[in-house]
Amino acid sequence: MERFGRRAARVGAAGLAAALAIAGCSGQALEGNDSSTEGGQVTLKVNFWGDMGLDQLKAKYEADHPNVKIVLNSGEYNAQHEDLQKKLVAGSGAPDISAVDEGFIVQFRSQADQFVNLNDKGASSFESKYLPWKWQASQSTDGKQIGLGTDVGGLAMCYRTDLFKAAGLPTDRDAVSKLWPSWDQFIETGKTYTAKTGKKFVDSATNLFNPVLSQQPVGFYDQQETLQMEGGPKAGFDVAMKAIDAGLSANLASFQPNWDQGFTKDQFAVLACPAWMLGHIQKTAPNQAGKWDIAAIPGGGGNWGGSWWTIPKQGKNVDEAYKFVEWLVQPEQQIEVFKKVGNLPSQPELYQNKEILDFKKEFFTNAPTGQIFATTAANLKPQYLGKKNGPTRVAVENVINRVQQGQLKSADAWAEAVKEAEKASKS
Amino acid sequence: MSLTDVRAMRTEEPKHAPPPRAKFWLYRFDTKTVPYLLIAPFFILFAIFGLFPIIFNGVVALRHWRLDDPTLTGWAGMENFTKLASDTDFWDALVNTFGIFILSTVPQLLIALMLANLLNRKLRGATFWRIGVLLPYVTPVAASTLVFAVFFSRDYGMANWLLSLVGFGEEQPLDWRATTWSSWIAIATMVNWKWIGYNALLYLSAMQAIPKDVYEAAAVDGAGPWRQLWRITVPMIQPVVLFTVILSTIGGLQLFNEPMLFDENPALANGGYDHQWRTIAQLIYKVGWRDLNLGYAAAMSWALFLIILIVAAINALATRRLGGGK
Repeated sequence: MERFGRRAARVGAAGLAAALAIAGCSGQALEGNDSSTEGGQVTLKVNFWGDMGLDQLKAKYEADHPNVKIVLNSGEYNAQHEDLQKKLVAGSGAPDISAVDEGFIVQFRSQADQFVNLNDKGASSFESKYLPWKWQASQSTDGKQIGLGTDVGGLAMCYRTDLFKAAGLPTDRDAVSKLWPSWDQFIETGKTYTAKTGKKFVDSATNLFNPVLSQQPVGFYDQQETLQMEGGPKAGFDVAMKAIDAGLSANLASFQPNWDQGFTKDQFAVLACPAWMLGHIQKTAPNQAGKWDIAAIPGGGGNWGGSWWTIPKQGKNVDEAYKFVEWLVQPEQQIEVFKKVGNLPSQPELYQNKEILDFKKEFFTNAPTGQIFATTAANLKPQYLGKKNGPTRVAVENVINRVQQGQLKSADAWAEAVKEAEKASKS
Repeated sequence: MSLTDVRAMRTEEPKHAPPPRAKFWLYRFDTKTVPYLLIAPFFILFAIFGLFPIIFNGVVALRHWRLDDPTLTGWAGMENFTKLASDTDFWDALVNTFGIFILSTVPQLLIALMLANLLNRKLRGATFWRIGVLLPYVTPVAASTLVFAVFFSRDYGMANWLLSLVGFGEEQPLDWRATTWSSWIAIATMVNWKWIGYNALLYLSAMQAIPKDVYEAAAVDGAGPWRQLWRITVPMIQPVVLFTVILSTIGGLQLFNEPMLFDENPALANGGYDHQWRTIAQLIYKVGWRDLNLGYAAAMSWALFLIILIVAAINALATRRLGGGK
């Protein structure tokens, strides 16, 4: 008991706030339900991580729907998914609406019975609007639709123009893209940078492994859920090892305090960035406005992350929740989210939308983020992510990190990675 | 036992002057039932929050229960436990747990003893010092561990800055989380920091109960302070030593917060990229809430429970011998 109490403290302010919100809101939701006979006041609790650009949309929706109160609860990425899983098992306490990321969607769609089948609520009319693979990814094998897609994470490469300039590298985004059509050329560029400046080039070798892996036709698992280490994972692993051996990695764990510090202390010059990463960079290093730009990713294509809005069945106000979700995925709102935090919609029609195509992000040296990410998303070849994709990725990343820490020789690392991945696939 | 003894003696008394019937029943109720009513709240709460979870956990340990795959359910028998016996993760975690346990408990109790011995002398502002050593204990463990996690960070950590003052690691700063020994030392430091003051105060209170004339007699016989500490103080506070040893055994073997928060990404419950400092409690968390394999996690919890019982018993026996023989 006490241990779980302490764990709540562990996730820090965000988690604590989340716990408080859970305690507070479940009560409010109940009250809302009681009074629904009288005034019809409904409270909707929305769980997600990071910044999904909902703050203003919430106010707007509440103004249009005076009977609805929306409670936004942003937490840590892993914690939010684990929390949802626990609440589904417990049968109560889940939020009215929960964001689910690509990395967890397979796990949750296999429990489709726990979610409202959005097709029953009329979501099937949206099918034609979505990228086909985005629509299918949140569908259970028996055709239940558990989520409506929000964004996709088509990849680009963010880089620091000021650091590039200091290293004598080109700074124009087209010229930079030409530096690295392939990952080998990317590593050569990194060597030049490191030789000139004595600084590290990338934040972590794991953030090379993941993009390269996502560009491969088959990831960790094939459609039959068999572990396939020799294909995609090997390609990504080799690039990661080359980067470590060349001394390019700053060895910072992503989304952790040291990583955030790495931004402000110029510890790395490039970062593989899906559209949603732009928001994180802006938030972490607000004083670096105009010092970032966005070039093409080596190798071309690839996807990292992207989410769905789901409605757990146990909620008291699933109809109101669906109305809100339906409103959220309308083009107008999707465009607003894109402008605010950069998340790229998963509805291809919007890739032709003038508002998106003309949009330029001041923070990223006026890079036309709409054009850049719309192109990557349209050309995306989706990869099947197995049920055990999450733990397997952690296991292989652990091995890469051991090499980065100098505790494992890069020559021995692949055998170790295969061993650990097999273990994780059986966990 | 003692309750019934008392009652047996009392019931004989009314022979001399039998009280009125109503009063007799009231009296019987008072002596027979009220004591149980008074202690009942504890036992009821214990049954709900202590006993029931333990038994329920035991049942879960004998079942398959996976949150990510509801179809995998049913009776498992001893399967989880046989799997445990050949699970290298479990045995590695056990080694880590014991390694950190020894690195934290032994220095912790020894330093606490020295500290208590110092505090037991005539000091200026004695209360100030005595309260002062308790401050780390009052600090919430999550807060202090987060500070320590930064303290031991590789790039801008204070620990490395201190080391660099003595000329160590200027070329290549020490990555505390990379190797086994450095991570164990870092975690043991957090545990020691928190508990030394607490144990010192326990020792101090026991020491103050020792009559001064024993020391005077020893001093007359020519025993120095060191000899007095080990030959008089320690044997005479032996019950408290026993208590602290058992308590730190339980705490040490259940170590969770410190290794968990020491990780770069605590949500993964890795305990280091090679799991070099993953403790059993952490492994249980990982198996239960990351792998979502509750049956197996429950089996691990029971194994940990048994291990703690055994180690605590061994420690208790060893500590009894500490003062008893002499």
